[in-house]
Amino acid sequence: MTLWDLTQGASAKVSSFKSNIQSGYRTRLSELGFHPGEHISCVLSPSLGAPKLYRVNNTVYSLDDSIASLIEVA
Amino acid sequence: MPVASAAKIALIGSPNSGKSLLFNRLTGLNQKVANFPGITVDIASGQSIDDSSIQYLDFPGVYSLQALSGEELVAVEAFTRALEEDLLDTVICIVDSTRLEKGLIFALQVLETCHRYNKPMLIAANMVDVLDQHSMQFDPQGLAETLKIPVLPISARTGLGLSELAEAIAKANVPPQKFESDIIASDESINHLHAQQLAEQHGPKGDLLINTQTRLDSFFLHSWFGGLSFFVIMYLLFQSIFTWASPVMDAVEAAIQWLAAVVLPIIPAGVATDFASDAIFGGIGAFLVFVPQIFVLTLVVGMLEDSGYLARAAVICHKPLRFFGLTGKSFIPMLSGVACAIPGIYAARTVESTRKRWLTYLAIPLMPCSARLPVYTLIIAAFIPANKALGGLVGWQGLAMFAIYLLGIVCALMVTAIVSRSSAELRTDLPFVLEMPPYRLPSWKPLLRNAWNRCKHFVTKAGKVIFMVTVVIWILGYFPNYGESLGGSWLGTMGQWIEPIFEPIGLDWRYGVAILSSFLAREVFVGTLGTMFGIEGAEENFTSLAQQIQDSGLPLGSGAALLVFFAIALQCVSTLAVLQRETGSWRLPVQLFISYSIFAYVAALTVFNLVELFA
Ligand SMILES: Nc1nc2c(ncn2[C@@H]2O[C@H](COP(=O)(O)OP(=O)(O)O)[C@@H](O)[C@H]2O)c(=O)[nH]1
Repeated sequence: MTLWDLTQGASAKVSSFKSNIQSGYRTRLSELGFHPGEHISCVLSPSLGAPKLYRVNNTVYSLDDSIASLIEVA
Repeated sequence: MPVASAAKIALIGSPNSGKSLLFNRLTGLNQKVANFPGITVDIASGQSIDDSSIQYLDFPGVYSLQALSGEELVAVEAFTRALEEDLLDTVICIVDSTRLEKGLIFALQVLETCHRYNKPMLIAANMVDVLDQHSMQFDPQGLAETLKIPVLPISARTGLGLSELAEAIAKANVPPQKFESDIIASDESINHLHAQQLAEQHGPKGDLLINTQTRLDSFFLHSWFGGLSFFVIMYLLFQSIFTWASPVMDAVEAAIQWLAAVVLPIIPAGVATDFASDAIFGGIGAFLVFVPQIFVLTLVVGMLEDSGYLARAAVICHKPLRFFGLTGKSFIPMLSGVACAIPGIYAARTVESTRKRWLTYLAIPLMPCSARLPVYTLIIAAFIPANKALGGLVGWQGLAMFAIYLLGIVCALMVTAIVSRSSAELRTDLPFVLEMPPYRLPSWKPLLRNAWNRCKHFVTKAGKVIFMVTVVIWILGYFPNYGESLGGSWLGTMGQWIEPIFEPIGLDWRYGVAILSSFLAREVFVGTLGTMFGIEGAEENFTSLAQQIQDSGLPLGSGAALLVFFAIALQCVSTLAVLQRETGSWRLPVQLFISYSIFAYVAALTVFNLVELFA
């Protein structure tokens, strides 16, 4: 399952990144807290495919499908 | 000012850590942009308010010293270069203490860099007032002991801890040691693990995100209420640009006229007066009029940004804009472009991705800006009957105006859609990851200062170029017959040369000259045409000029072609000058100018022939 599949209110642990992710993205996402082992919850999933809101630590980020679907969660 | 001997203190931190607010607190109003040889980013510099021997340097906010985008790379290089060349004495790393783990990942990178360059460093843990509100604590001493550098809890908002910070700065003279721990991990994740451990040991414990944020988010991003409030807020934004700014714009215009009335009689009659009245007061005045709009727009957009709403607006617009190759963050710059391209181009700074910003620049000049309005009004009045259809519900003139506005927006989106699909992505692009800041009440002082600085930047930097072009156009229009008739001037002669270009669209040389002069600024078209039709003050007198155009027997196709031409062509020296300033080269403005001129011409030609075919 990827982060994008997480439904509103659900939370999960980052397990890994998809292998086709650019290394720059991976580093940046890690620095922001999207790091294997970290708990992430989806706080808001707006309709019509708009970017979803994810919470990691005390910060909320908005990620669109192109990037959220590169993060594997379990 | 003893600047040479002043101690130079660098401020560095991630966006939203409160760095700007701290910088403003520390320096008050004594700010200017620092100039470092070879460093191209703007680094604000300011003297400390309580100690003139201290100079603070505000480096652009970055998420990491491992830069991802071109913009970040420039900022990070500026920082390391300043360290390398020994331009800095002490480094203050600002972190948000409510998000300590994230801040520490960055702080550890800074620590390593300062260790490498032998520079003392301290950490300012900002936003402790927020922790206090939630009765939460963290352990700055413990953190300082573990990291072996000073850690100062502060609040840039309330001023708490700032005097202790100043003391610590004065005392800081030992560079940090390399941070060692017993964690063993791959290079890439070591910082992360360290930060995690440090935050666990010394950071605040508990849940900081107030439920109100989530509640407001589910309102502002709701499919119905979110959409509705989006439109209401955008409507208010437009109202502010047009209604708040216009009295000031009128005042500026009146002031220029007043000044002209006072100054012109003093100058001996002749070339000097004509120059002063046409080029200085007419030309420069035309561009100063934009300043209030820039001020209001910067202020209102700043308010939206500071309140946290802008990030939500970007989320709402992201999906539709992505289809056209843009991002949600392109929305505000493009929206601003409907008032005037110049504040729009400035606003595009918030688009971090270099490529998306570049695409946004392509779109902005096509947005229907307010300088096109006088031209549209004139041509529509000349060609479209003022009567209404459907029992007065639909006015044909209003419909035509709406259509031409829509045309501009559609063209903008088409261009970015096509260009983004046909040009390969060369550099790494930033993905859409946007921090959702908490909703806050804006702090006024920095916002006003920012709007003021933006205006100053516009007047001083773009103003030079605008002035030069104004002078050139004036000389061409005035000589060799000393302003006797435009037809006999060099500009007139050029008009005759270019007549063959405009003839296929059914326009004679006078329109050619008016179009030529409108490359300075679009609204000049009306004035130039008015002069040539021998009407005084054409701007005030649209209908009669429109009547003249009608009487001159200009075909309907030419009118439509003119509308389309003005919707597309990039006839605005100010826009080109600001694009040059923002991109640092003439390449993009020149490319845009040429390609949009050709695009405009071809579209106008097509429309002319189509209309003439069916009419
Ligand atoms: N409550 C609180 N808010 C702060 C503090 N410092 C900054 N802010 C707010 O945080 C937001 C981001 O600050 P800014 O200075 O623009 O951050 P920058 O992006 O790091 O320059 C603004 O709305 C500030 O008013 C602080 O110490 N306490």
